Amino acid sequence: MRLISEKILVLYCVWLTVALASAAALGQAEATAGHDIVIKNAIVMTVTHGNITNGSIYIKDGKIAAVGETVNAPASATVIDAGGKYLTPGIIDSHSHIALDDDVNEATNPITPHMMMKDAFDYQDKAIYRALAGGVTTSLLLHGSANMIGGQAVVIKHKYGAARDEMLFPNAPRSIKFASGENPKRVYGSRDQLPSTRMGNFAVQREALVQAQDYMREWDNYNEKVKRGDKDATPPKHDLKLEALADVLRGKIMVQIHIYRADEMLTEIAMAKEFGYKIRAFHHALEAYKVADQIAANNIAIATFSDWWGFKQEAWDAIPWNATMSMRKGVRVAIKSDSEDYNRRLNQEAAKTMRYGGATEEEALKMITLSPAWIVGVDDRVGSIDVGKDADLVIWGGYPLSSYGVPEKVLIDGDVYFDRSLPGLGTTHYKEGE
Amino acid sequence: MQPAISFLRSTKCRLFASLGLTILMVMGWAGAQDKPVVLRGGKVLTVTHGVIDNGAIVMEGGRITAVGDAGTIHVPAGARVIDATGMTIYPGLIDSETQLGLTEISAEQTTNDLVELSDEIMPHMHTAEAFHAESALIPVARMNGITNAVIAPESADTLPGQDSFIQLAGANAPEMLLIRDNAMPLNFTGDQRRNKTGFEKRKFPSTRMGLAAQLRQAFLDAQDYKLKWTDYERRKTDAALNKDKDKKPEPLAPKRDLKSEALLPYLEGKKMIVLAAESPSDLETAVSLANEFKLKFVLNHISHSQPVLDYVAGLNVPVIVGPIYEAPKEDERYDTVYSLPAQLYKRGVKIVFASYSAHNVRNLPDQAGFATAFGLPYDEALKAITLNAAEIWGVAEQLGSLDVGKTANVVVANGDPLDVKTDVKRVFIAGREVPMSDRQVRLRDEYSKGGQE
Repeated sequence: MRLISEKILVLYCVWLTVALASAAALGQAEATAGHDIVIKNAIVMTVTHGNITNGSIYIKDGKIAAVGETVNAPASATVIDAGGKYLTPGIIDSHSHIALDDDVNEATNPITPHMMMKDAFDYQDKAIYRALAGGVTTSLLLHGSANMIGGQAVVIKHKYGAARDEMLFPNAPRSIKFASGENPKRVYGSRDQLPSTRMGNFAVQREALVQAQDYMREWDNYNEKVKRGDKDATPPKHDLKLEALADVLRGKIMVQIHIYRADEMLTEIAMAKEFGYKIRAFHHALEAYKVADQIAANNIAIATFSDWWGFKQEAWDAIPWNATMSMRKGVRVAIKSDSEDYNRRLNQEAAKTMRYGGATEEEALKMITLSPAWIVGVDDRVGSIDVGKDADLVIWGGYPLSSYGVPEKVLIDGDVYFDRSLPGLGTTHYKEGE
Repeated sequence: MQPAISFLRSTKCRLFASLGLTILMVMGWAGAQDKPVVLRGGKVLTVTHGVIDNGAIVMEGGRITAVGDAGTIHVPAGARVIDATGMTIYPGLIDSETQLGLTEISAEQTTNDLVELSDEIMPHMHTAEAFHAESALIPVARMNGITNAVIAPESADTLPGQDSFIQLAGANAPEMLLIRDNAMPLNFTGDQRRNKTGFEKRKFPSTRMGLAAQLRQAFLDAQDYKLKWTDYERRKTDAALNKDKDKKPEPLAPKRDLKSEALLPYLEGKKMIVLAAESPSDLETAVSLANEFKLKFVLNHISHSQPVLDYVAGLNVPVIVGPIYEAPKEDERYDTVYSLPAQLYKRGVKIVFASYSAHNVRNLPDQAGFATAFGLPYDEALKAITLNAAEIWGVAEQLGSLDVGKTANVVVANGDPLDVKTDVKRVFIAGREVPMSDRQVRLRDEYSKGGQE
């Protein structure tokens, strides 16, 4: 009985989706999604294979179908003349807390891996629009840093005005937020709870991972018994919290760690080895320059600020050369916002690396495109202008890596979502007053 | 007529400006400039008289003694000549609101001297008395060409205390504090309300009417206080004149009230109020309050006053604008605040920028550059962090441009001062070259073993 009703529900949902999708398509006769587009007469900054002056891009079904000085496209394709302006991949912000309606920290327990940021995602938040107008097309929305192990991230595309589920990055890999240092020990220490010290921090983290090992073992044993045909095998109790951590240990969730101090980075590297998981990226990582060799050797990326410093004790040794010094030691470096102010001008933040340590134009641009795409785990689909990738693109007024670069048009999946020349908000899908 | 200039031309402001001049002349830092310096070659952005390609500048005795073409400039005997070919030379930048010297590590309360929260009316707080000359933040800002700044208390009170105008180099605090108590913020942005706790725990003033009433009372108290002293002085004079025939006892001096005392120069129009508001209603309330007591003022922030910019222009006062990074309101276009400087400029309002920061003072020029992408002419953007600021703060005879006779605050960079990519190579303050080193450079060099450029 239960099964049947579920099937009916599933079928109903499929029908509803189809119906809604066609309704949406009808309502967007003007939109360019699904149409062929050619952007011509642009300085194409590919990130992976240099700049193409007077270049063109052919977009088919939301993907980049061709890039070059000339492209073969059907005559029916809509042409956007970039007027000799710069064209870059959409910016990717690998550390953001926008669109969560202040539900950033479930700060009631230092271990909350079962929190799903998707459940808090407020897709109507204007911060998504304002970042879009700054050229951001993809963001990793993370849990905050109150907990040693926070929740699981959601990856969004900044399709402002689209339905909620259309804004979720399809099939993005799972990421979880770990933290360290001052924040967890302050939050729980101020309540006379564990952790109130850095040793407390790491003990809490280790304890949770040990429990996850036990949980994983119980389930492995059970599954083994079932496989052997043991009909008396009883399944262990499902525990969302430990299930999530077990998936970390199984390598199914990427670990993103909020961390400032170099010594803590080394401890986290050791902890990851102790339990056999991999760290995808150190976030903030303001002292990465002190241990860049070890970070590089473990294939860990950093998502850092360009020049923030001094806002707390663990940010006192921050230097604006951190990004470039770490990069030269082989660390994959992203510049991120962690801010609904700075995510509107990450291009300027990246440009600062050209000044502090002499990053090349391509290296600087990579720090807000391909490198953060790797951190998010979507570098095979976004982050550069290459055939087969999503057509997430920005046409710039001014040189993007300067104080003067301002997006004029932002496309996501081949569809224009922001156009500076339009009146009102400049949005194409979101209509004011709706 | 440009409002700030008319302000400067007023007698009171001349007094104010000459006070600044006196102090600047007295100050040398750790001794004066010892020998003349010539920067030759490079593009000179004078701010007042255009750009000189392949220009030169001569600094002697802490002042600029010549500005001109590299080919024809006279090199004084014994001068140190620096080749600035390929460089851009411009005046030291002025940040019109910072918390430099009032904080070290934001989250560490013991390092903060930002604002007193025990009362909203604290005009007797002097930032000059908390200013920490040895702060690690000052060289960080200085290395990016910021040579002068206003130090203001944080804006949590309506009257949080008095500003100082500093030079970012000097042997000690007195040398760096060019003008103490140069101005006083009056904050009316709504953030000063004591309404952050639950309703039952609120204290006065928890509303805007509370804030306004409290301010009005404070200024009335100061007026009464002044009358009391005037009366006392009169009776004292009378008593002295009639000492022999009148056997009355000496009049008693009124009790000193530091708060009222601190407000007097502002009530008398001798010093300037920095009037902060964001929205049109707060702005108009604050302005009428200021007019009620005939305060001399400049405006601060007004980030959300776009609907009343013509009214703002009609006030004929300069505006410290932004920061332009202030988020627009929920239903506003993304660039509503970015374009505010251009909107004000179009209406003839003199604008200046401020970092409103301590750690990020070095990024002051980025904001000016960004504003040009939203319509502010480049020359005005540069003026907003140099000459306009000098004019507003009454120091335009000494600072804000590369002109003969002015203090030799000069920056040499590898490009456009307003671009984020530009690297500052040399900074001169009162003719002396500042060491291009700070805490961050030392850490960089320590961890890159031998240093890197």
